[in-house]
Amino acid sequence: MGEDTPTHYNQKQIRKAEFITPPNMLKSKVGTGGLSQTILTKAQDLLESNSVDFRPLGEMSLDQLQDGINQAAVDLDKGEEERSAEKLIRQMLYPSMQLKANGGMFHYDLVTIIGDKLVQFLEVIETPDIEALEIVQAFHTTLRAVLLGQIQGTGGRYGAELVQALDDACHRYFIKFPDNIDPHKK
Amino acid sequence: MAYDFKSVTILVVDDNQPMLDITKSLLLTFGVGHVLTAKDGKRGFELYLQYKPDLIITDWMMRPIDGIQLAKKIRRERDASNPYIPIILMTGFTEKHRIFEARDEGITEILVKPFKARDLYKRLYQIIEKPRQFVRSEQFFGPDRRRHSEAAYDGHRRRQDDVEKMFPAGRSEMSNATKKDLEKARAHLSNVRDQAGVKENKDITIEDYDLIFVDSTD
Repeated sequence: MGEDTPTHYNQKQIRKAEFITPPNMLKSKVGTGGLSQTILTKAQDLLESNSVDFRPLGEMSLDQLQDGINQAAVDLDKGEEERSAEKLIRQMLYPSMQLKANGGMFHYDLVTIIGDKLVQFLEVIETPDIEALEIVQAFHTTLRAVLLGQIQGTGGRYGAELVQALDDACHRYFIKFPDNIDPHKK
Repeated sequence: MAYDFKSVTILVVDDNQPMLDITKSLLLTFGVGHVLTAKDGKRGFELYLQYKPDLIITDWMMRPIDGIQLAKKIRRERDASNPYIPIILMTGFTEKHRIFEARDEGITEILVKPFKARDLYKRLYQIIEKPRQFVRSEQFFGPDRRRHSEAAYDGHRRRQDDVEKMFPAGRSEMSNATKKDLEKARAHLSNVRDQAGVKENKDITIEDYDLIFVDSTD
């Protein structure tokens, strides 16, 4: 095999990609050495001691989630062509993601844990059928109970039981409806 | 010596006020000199044009312009003053396809919420100490989506080295070792054909795989 023979690693580029190394302005401004442990601890303390009441924000996301569930339920009677499964899922997914993302930032770790399970569920289903909506509604009810009960942190054994029950519901759903999993998102 | 962020300007964009306040406080604790805040991507873009920050930290889901659209505008619009500016996206999404989506639109780093102070610092550290190169092609402009640059890699290049091993310099014939390896592979393929009931000289096609599948479930 001669040197000019093209192989998979030295073939002519199909797409002309140009690599650029921009000047590292940040590095030139901040210098070297990183941040001290003292500063990082101080920053973490500040994060942990924040007194923001997460409940109004959480309630807002829960209301959006409920709207999404209601909309998907109304659309159940419509034909496949009229329904946009992706849009319906998105309307439930986005508020769920907000709950997952923000709960833990404001001491509601259990909201993040449950929100994470809900996001995982919504990320893989292909169409929001009636059984899937029942599961999402169960997540909603549980999350509302956590907020109303002001259960901060992970909720201990009680929290673990709630999460396990929701997890089991999702498993049962996937065993019963293995075809309703979006192959692109598995 | 430690980092001195006094002369650094960071723009934080988030429609969630408490989150905006917390991120700002963390950056001020790190010693950042100027922290600008905006409640959506539209205002964020205006502040970016006006103040030319050194870094942007943005949430994903916002209206009317979300974090990804903001990144797109910065990377692609002509009036963007610094298309190379590092952009950290804060999000609760961790699924691979979401991360790829963000990366493909020019996001430099992802910060998954909820996060700790150290997580935010780690992203800043990556941007300062291990900045990504930029790639400009017909389809894409943004930070190199592979973190490691090939130039720095000095180890075994499996594809290239394996081919060179098969055809040592100056030889157009395979080495005996390679011939043996190929013989083994041929014998293995022959076994597969036998098990699948495919005749010796027939190529295996996708239909044959279906056949194997049907047989095994029966």
